[in-house]
Amino acid sequence: MKTRPNNPPILTHVDKSDREAKQRPLSLGVIRRLWGYTGPHARKRNWLVVLVLLRAVQLPAMAWCLAAVLNGPVLAQDWRGILWGASGFFALALSTAVVFHFRMRLALELGEAVVQDLRREVFDHLQRMSMSFYDKTKLGRIISRITSDAEAVRMGVQSVVFVSMVQVGSMLVAAAVMLWYDPPLFLVVLLMAPVLWRLSKYFRDRLSVTYRATQESYSRVTATLAESINGIRVTQGFVRQDVNAELFGGLVEDHAEYHLKSARLQAVFLPIIELNSQFFMALLLALGGVQVLRMEFFAGWAGGSEAELFAALVVFALLMPQFFNPIANIGRQYNDALTAMAGAERVFGLLDTEPEQMDGPDAAPLPPITGRVELDGVTFGYDPAKPVLHGISFVAEPGRTIALVGQTGSGKTSIISLIAKFYLPTAGRVLIDGHDTRGVTTDSLAKQIGIVLQSNYLFTGSVMDNIRVGRPDATDDEVIAAAEALGCLDIFERLQDGLLTDVGEKGGSLSLGQRQLVCFCRAMLADPRVLILDEATSAVDTMTEQRVQEALAKLLSGRTSFVVAHRLSTIRHADEVLVLDAGRIIERGTHHALLEQGGRYAHLYRQFIHASEA
Amino acid sequence: MPAQASTVALILRLLRLTWGYKDQVLRIVVLQMVLLALALSGLGLIGLGLDVIGQAIGESGKPPRWPLGFEPPAGWSAMTKVLVIAGAVFAVAALRFVLDRQSWVWKAVLVRDIVVDLRKQVYDKMQRLSFRFFDANESGSIINRVTGDVQAVRRFIDGVMIEVVMLLISLAFFLAYMLSIHVKLTLACLATTPLLWVLTTLFSRTVRPAYRVNRELFDKAVLVLSENAQGVHVVKGFALQERERAKFKRANDAVADQHRWIFWRVATFVPTIGMFTAVNLLVLLVYGGWLYIHDPGFAFGSGLFVFAGLLQQFSSQVGNLAQIANAVQRSMTGAQRVFEVLDEPVEIQGPPGAAAVRLGRAEGRVTFEDVTFGYGGADGADALRGVSFEAQPGQTVAILGATGSGKSTLLSLIPRFYDPQQGRVLIDGVDLRDYDLDDLRRNVGVVFQETFLFSNTVRFNVTFGHPEATDDQMRQAAQIAQAHGFIERELDAGYDTVLTEGGNGLSGGQRQRLAIARAVLLDPPILLMDDPTAAIDPETEHLIMQAMDQAMRNRTTFIVAHRFSTLKRADVVMVMEDGRVTEVGTHDELMQTSAHYRNAAEVQMADEESRRLLGIGEDAE
Repeated sequence: MKTRPNNPPILTHVDKSDREAKQRPLSLGVIRRLWGYTGPHARKRNWLVVLVLLRAVQLPAMAWCLAAVLNGPVLAQDWRGILWGASGFFALALSTAVVFHFRMRLALELGEAVVQDLRREVFDHLQRMSMSFYDKTKLGRIISRITSDAEAVRMGVQSVVFVSMVQVGSMLVAAAVMLWYDPPLFLVVLLMAPVLWRLSKYFRDRLSVTYRATQESYSRVTATLAESINGIRVTQGFVRQDVNAELFGGLVEDHAEYHLKSARLQAVFLPIIELNSQFFMALLLALGGVQVLRMEFFAGWAGGSEAELFAALVVFALLMPQFFNPIANIGRQYNDALTAMAGAERVFGLLDTEPEQMDGPDAAPLPPITGRVELDGVTFGYDPAKPVLHGISFVAEPGRTIALVGQTGSGKTSIISLIAKFYLPTAGRVLIDGHDTRGVTTDSLAKQIGIVLQSNYLFTGSVMDNIRVGRPDATDDEVIAAAEALGCLDIFERLQDGLLTDVGEKGGSLSLGQRQLVCFCRAMLADPRVLILDEATSAVDTMTEQRVQEALAKLLSGRTSFVVAHRLSTIRHADEVLVLDAGRIIERGTHHALLEQGGRYAHLYRQFIHASEA
Repeated sequence: MPAQASTVALILRLLRLTWGYKDQVLRIVVLQMVLLALALSGLGLIGLGLDVIGQAIGESGKPPRWPLGFEPPAGWSAMTKVLVIAGAVFAVAALRFVLDRQSWVWKAVLVRDIVVDLRKQVYDKMQRLSFRFFDANESGSIINRVTGDVQAVRRFIDGVMIEVVMLLISLAFFLAYMLSIHVKLTLACLATTPLLWVLTTLFSRTVRPAYRVNRELFDKAVLVLSENAQGVHVVKGFALQERERAKFKRANDAVADQHRWIFWRVATFVPTIGMFTAVNLLVLLVYGGWLYIHDPGFAFGSGLFVFAGLLQQFSSQVGNLAQIANAVQRSMTGAQRVFEVLDEPVEIQGPPGAAAVRLGRAEGRVTFEDVTFGYGGADGADALRGVSFEAQPGQTVAILGATGSGKSTLLSLIPRFYDPQQGRVLIDGVDLRDYDLDDLRRNVGVVFQETFLFSNTVRFNVTFGHPEATDDQMRQAAQIAQAHGFIERELDAGYDTVLTEGGNGLSGGQRQRLAIARAVLLDPPILLMDDPTAAIDPETEHLIMQAMDQAMRNRTTFIVAHRFSTLKRADVVMVMEDGRVTEVGTHDELMQTSAHYRNAAEVQMADEESRRLLGIGEDAE
């Protein structure tokens, strides 16, 4: 793609790597696999094939029937014959309509069935994917697998295959009828077909180039627009409205020019297709006229009488759309097929991504635990070639609170992710009550370990629903008891609808502190022996912080807890502090002992104090 | 929100908009009419050709009807006539091709003009709207107004206006042509048309809402998926997979069930419509056949054959009617949303022209006089209640308070992002509402709570408020913000590094420092910093602190802060609660007088023992 020499100045750079191919070439493997999805609905599919073949005959038959009545009884002025012919035509039309109803309904249902199966499979598969998949994959990508990609596949299943079959079929039947009526005339028709096909391909290719450029310029428009809106406060605060408006105006004009360019191409292509039958009729009239009126020249090899030739002319005129329309239609279907290929390839690509095997072949459920956690020479990297943890070993006795301290990227979060079995260590073992986490099922482990992460994710629903996530079978009273135990019931009760208050999208209608308390209650309700906590940095404002601290202390008591700590008080009260640097434990001990030691921890702690008080 | 009563007003307004492009619209309509006439004559000529051949071979005994009183010269043989007609058909087709192409191009040009005009207008207006508008509307919806909704308005002109005019004209043409061939036959063949119209309307009334319902159901299914992906730690952490799977299946099945209902109707409607065309043809066969036998003036080609062609085109035009009706509805909703933006009053404006007080460089005295302000939400609660204070030039004012106590609101009144409902805000003793708005905002630098950087180069972002800044000015600002170092050292292309949406691996602290540089570049006499360390790890916080210290020098600074290090350094600390300033004083004063303040401070401070172990005394600084 040539870029225009003078691209307009921009407000927003568009990241091209973010775009996914809209179309992919046809691939037999993908088609076969997609066809396999119609297997469970074989009855529907087979009936559909029968109906499609029927319809391919019916469509030209109707045109032929009309021509036959006109040529036969009408020209012969045979009233009785007209009535017979008309009833024949009516019966044919009626049967065509009935077949069409079932053909359409079955195709739509088949498409839906396949798409539903695919969506469910994708969802189930996603549930089995490991955390590392979610780290690497953007949400938008995941969603488009079940939305736009699935829709592309639907078009492929419900229309491309069956519509193309109808079109090709009726084209062939129409061709056969024409051939039977008048071979030389048909030869002319046949010669036109490849010309039309080439022409349509030529324009389609050129259009798709312009189309891509148009899309690109459009994505510049929308990206700029989105940033202009999200950054409106900055723009107004810095008085940039005029400059931005000018930039945007340039982009919009640029986009419009591309648009106009593709419109100009279409302006040649579409009229050609539309007028093709007109051109052709002119040709037919001339040739047919010559043929009919100069019988003596042609009679020899064309055969038939003048009347038969005239009849052929009428038949041709009426059957021609059946022959030519499919050419344009199939071109369109071909386009849809390429889009379906791209969608199907991506969906299959996702389904083929093997979920990392978290449970060994003979993993057993974890028996009730007391909460002893041990890491034994653990090495780990999200990319095994680049370990972020090196030979980590420590033991947390039941009921103890372990604080993890260190710079961003020192490995704190990796350690807690390993204990929760979100990942498996590259080397070494993670032991819970002496059981290697590799040897226990992930579900049974998850049920005995509670996690509260920085992101504080809330689902749409009420506060009550969100707390209940901790233990789905808990009664309302148990939920209330959990909130009460953490001493934050009054905060929830003061919300507009108390515990039944809708939390809004991603918890948006609650304050950060309130969201964190919901997550604490969740963990409280689950009542795990082991608790993992990634403290939010300074998400909570000073005034609510006290309440959060109190709740936290209650939540931690009596459980083995691992806290990625940012608050001084949490660190201070831990039973043991592990100081991490570049994936290694460099110091360990109580807060008191480490301060006395005067090493890295003392330095870090001093920095904390500096940051928070001066 | 959309009131039924305004529909007429809306249509009138759209018509007015169309009037602005009347020359372009007119030339398209005229061209389309010519095209229509050509199409009909093409069809007529073909029929004539059939008749000429038919008569010549004695297949049909009737004389062909030549159009426009034209009589072929007696000397022409049947063959010549046929060839002349074929040539005419060809010529008409060629002419149609040329004109059709032109009409496509003209339409595209019209579309371009409208879309570009509207988009620019909406964007320009949108940039000037006050924050209240952006608070009340989701960004997705605003984006749609410039993209999709503008197209909807455009469609009213080229999809509705032009199409309706053309439809009426072409139906009239068709009807006239058919009537000219045979009146009774026309009526008989079109007898089913009203029924077709009723059926189409009925269909779109039942199926379109059903599709809307289906979209909503599907959105729910997508929401389940998206929540599962976003909250994946929660789902995995609490082993909720089974429950979520069942939830998704339910949502998915609801979509499928509703779809089945729709499919049944669609698959019944479309063939039924096809049946109507067949019935029309049937009537033509029987009645037309009878006419051919009994009416000597009714020819085969220019009668029956042409009629069949006309009939097919007529029903496809009637089918268009339903599409146009849909387009009207869609473009009306879109238009309403576009006009909403264009009509939205620009709430915050400086006084017109010469009346505005120009402000060169302010001294920096900021005064609040009994200011009351509310966002006008449903609960009617005031975000600020009777706030009064004065900040002297060069002072640093720190604001402390719980979420929702009014800190950010207070700051946002100073650059006039909102106007107070009661009381006044003054800079250098002049009410903000009297200043030229751009002058005022150029005097106030803002560092927002959530750092927003554009996906563009570092240079673009730092010089955002002053694109003509020299490299020296830019570097100096970056140095003050403690950003120059990492820009030069850690970024591949230094100041020309393009920041992407994901942030290019810039940490929160680095982004924040770029935002501070952006504000400092303007060298504003008044600087607002809304909790600049909120999103930052404690480890990197001290870097930001240094940046802030530098930035605050020689300016009146307002800073929302939680860290007591900041509060200590401020000249004045204001504690806010529930929209009021409850306590004012220096840090030391407040430590003495306010138990509340002291409590909050202690949560953050290191205990005595740790201090002792670290050897930090009270006066360690």
